Amino acid sequence: MKKLHIPVEHTTLANGLRVVASPDRSAPFVTVGVYYQIGFRIEPCGRSGFAHLFEHMMFQGSEHAGKMEHIRLINSSGGLLNGTTHYDLTNYFEAVPSNALERVLWLEADRMRALKVDDENLRNQRDVVKEEVRVNVMNQPYGGFPWLDLPPVAFRKWPNAHNFYGDFADLDAATLEDVRAFFRTYYAPNNAVLVMIGDLDAREAFSLAKRHFENIPPGPTPPRPDVSEPPQTEERIGEVPEKLGPLAAIAIGYTMPPRGTKEWYAAAILDRVLHGGRAGRVHHRLVLEKQIAVEADGGVELFDTNGPTQMVTRIVPKPEVATGAAIAAFDAVIHDVTEKGIPEDELDPVKVKLRADFYSMLEGGMGSYMPRFGLMHYLACFTLFDGDPDRVNTILDQFLAVAPADAQALARKILVPQNRAIVVRRPVAQGAAR
Amino acid sequence: MSTPAAVNPTPAVPPALTAERPVAWPKRTVRTLANGLQVVLAESRAFPKISAHLFFCSGNAVVAHNAPGLAEITASVVRTGTASRTSRRIEEDLRRMGADLGTQAGADSSAIAASGLAEFSSGLLDLVADLSRNASFPEGEFERERRQKLEELKVERTSPGFLVNERFRRVLFGEHPYAIVAPTEAQVAAYRREQLEDFYRRNYAPANALLIVVGDFSSESMLADIGKSFGSWKAPQPEAPRFPEPPKHSGRRVRLVHMPGTVQTQVLLGNLAITRHDPDWYRSVLANAIFGGAFHSRLVVNIREQKGYTYSPGSGINALRQYGYFTVRAAVRNGVVAATLTEMFYEMDRMRSLPVTAEELESARNYLTGVFSLGVATQAGLLTQLSTVYLDRLPEDYLETYREKVRALTADDVLAAARRHFDSANAQIVVVGDREQIGEQAALFGEVESFDAQGNRL
Repeated sequence: MKKLHIPVEHTTLANGLRVVASPDRSAPFVTVGVYYQIGFRIEPCGRSGFAHLFEHMMFQGSEHAGKMEHIRLINSSGGLLNGTTHYDLTNYFEAVPSNALERVLWLEADRMRALKVDDENLRNQRDVVKEEVRVNVMNQPYGGFPWLDLPPVAFRKWPNAHNFYGDFADLDAATLEDVRAFFRTYYAPNNAVLVMIGDLDAREAFSLAKRHFENIPPGPTPPRPDVSEPPQTEERIGEVPEKLGPLAAIAIGYTMPPRGTKEWYAAAILDRVLHGGRAGRVHHRLVLEKQIAVEADGGVELFDTNGPTQMVTRIVPKPEVATGAAIAAFDAVIHDVTEKGIPEDELDPVKVKLRADFYSMLEGGMGSYMPRFGLMHYLACFTLFDGDPDRVNTILDQFLAVAPADAQALARKILVPQNRAIVVRRPVAQGAAR
Repeated sequence: MSTPAAVNPTPAVPPALTAERPVAWPKRTVRTLANGLQVVLAESRAFPKISAHLFFCSGNAVVAHNAPGLAEITASVVRTGTASRTSRRIEEDLRRMGADLGTQAGADSSAIAASGLAEFSSGLLDLVADLSRNASFPEGEFERERRQKLEELKVERTSPGFLVNERFRRVLFGEHPYAIVAPTEAQVAAYRREQLEDFYRRNYAPANALLIVVGDFSSESMLADIGKSFGSWKAPQPEAPRFPEPPKHSGRRVRLVHMPGTVQTQVLLGNLAITRHDPDWYRSVLANAIFGGAFHSRLVVNIREQKGYTYSPGSGINALRQYGYFTVRAAVRNGVVAATLTEMFYEMDRMRSLPVTAEELESARNYLTGVFSLGVATQAGLLTQLSTVYLDRLPEDYLETYREKVRALTADDVLAAARRHFDSANAQIVVVGDREQIGEQAALFGEVESFDAQGNRL
């Protein structure tokens, strides 16, 4: 087994901005990410979808780079950029030829220091976001399934259970003052990490980071509300109408143990036993062997969440199979795991595949033209949530150390009805969409 | 000495780009084995993985006249059994090697695409060779895949994004097989297992194949492994098929696919354009980048950033092997369909009428060459670039010369390309949405022909 070692250097600026560098001179490119520890989980109540709308506003101009300037400067340097909003973080990232590193840092620092937006920008991006929701959710068969459907059934606290893409009424209600307040509260340097990867020297990169970011004043530590869920004692079940697609779809989510615990590692292994393509037990049993489903697989957002999270299975039964029968077949798969455990000769290849997927993620992780996106993402997540970017070099060992007995013990604890939620997308009357 | 950073005011202008480091594309080892199999190897050793993609230069186009989609279902069933491995065994072997496998077919080619840990590279090559030579097409697996395909087709017909592409390709290509992006349910129901075997026997042949391997290996020992896995494979080369010509489109016409109650409209327009072999290729790609092919392009700034009609508008020059086509697309709210088409044509006509500015030109040249070269940094990016070169039979120095060719282009080149390929007067328009809400708007742009989601004329 060839072990991969990723060089990781890190420092913290006087204003609290954490900075991580990982040099790799194999190609003349750098990947840069600025991650803020704010996602849609703790966006303001009554402002569902705001964290994501705000992410759009970060592309609308800052003190020295007006509207479209940020995008133009990155594109015209030969690079790509984007931003995404998650449960517990929002990221902004660029992949550019390495001669544009300082330019990228200047742009990111400018918008961290002084976002400059007006009502017209806000109206414009509100319209853009509504079309994003329409194209991805409302006008798409199974749009938003199950990531928007499951949380309201699974969880009891508003931060974990609301509509993360946003109700249109809430998007309409958002004001410029909301944008400014959100920026002041969550977009301070001491609530962020800057990651720089690729064709760079770590010391030079740190000195550039210092030059551009260190004079941004820190803010008060943002409030971190308690988002932990009250103990669950019953199975939770919900149904959502499917307006376009002809088949029912089922999502089954089990709530994960807390991040970084021994049980969390074991749960990740369980996820890989159940899911992960055709060799996974769920797909194998339901699609290939019993042939009762068109589709059955699942997964978990492991590294980038820092609050209640579920391992989710998604099943699309054949039209002649009742959803209850499909769930019963799934339950039989779970029963096998809890009662008979997982033999070593199944666990070993599961771990080999986990290691391979981890490497693939580090190398690319988002299309073939965003090099080291995954490495950037993991370094940022390990810094924000675990305080240790070097976990990228040690975390694999902890997954590989999970023994069959650990996996079975955990299966008996978490793969139970009192720890799960089920949502069915039920097609509206046949032909209604025609 | 410069003043210390802490007392420096924030610079008001962006820092200049520093000296550029040249992009070094890895050396390729290119061989043709005695059986005709073309092999391309490129080392990329930053991560302990390899990707091995075996392409066959025959896809759905060669069977479109009697069994549309047959190449695709053949590829799906190829992974489900060989003379010596069951479906279960194949999936377990893959997991044991930390590998992923995809088998698929498009219009022009079929592929067995594997990637996995470098430590298992010879086992992975063996598996790819086994699938390409000894697939057994188990009856039960074929029936299962057929049934899944039928359910998949039903779902596709409820997706506005699928329907807009389907109708557009049908309009653009007429009797040419590129017109068909998916089979009908009746066509899938009529597939016979023997047809799949026949397609496999004819087309999965070494002289019709290209094997590209990228990753953490030494080319010399990789070549030896490939010789062991593929050297004894023998099969005749398939005949090159002939296809009817696509129609010439003159005058704007509109096709509307009616989906009652939809909350958004898919808009797609364009016309036939060129392949990568056309001398106009580079300037067309550059014109496209300025028009609608990048985030900072004119179309995106106009209908997204100024008007807020849409989330992800864009344009593209799409190259298939025999023909290419130009597209302009956006998903917009129902009330602004006419306004969107107006802006699309305005921006096309502006590209045709006036030279682009020096700043736009410089910016787009940098964008294209930078993003093109990003492919060198990952195994997947490198494989994508190499497959373009070798599947399309582009010159061997395509990767190395792309940059200088793009850098040499002028505003006149862009104008000439826009005039030839952004053919606004003869654009074919497809809209997918609720006819009650968009029919009148669409009719402003030409005669409208309407269809339902099943493809029936209304």
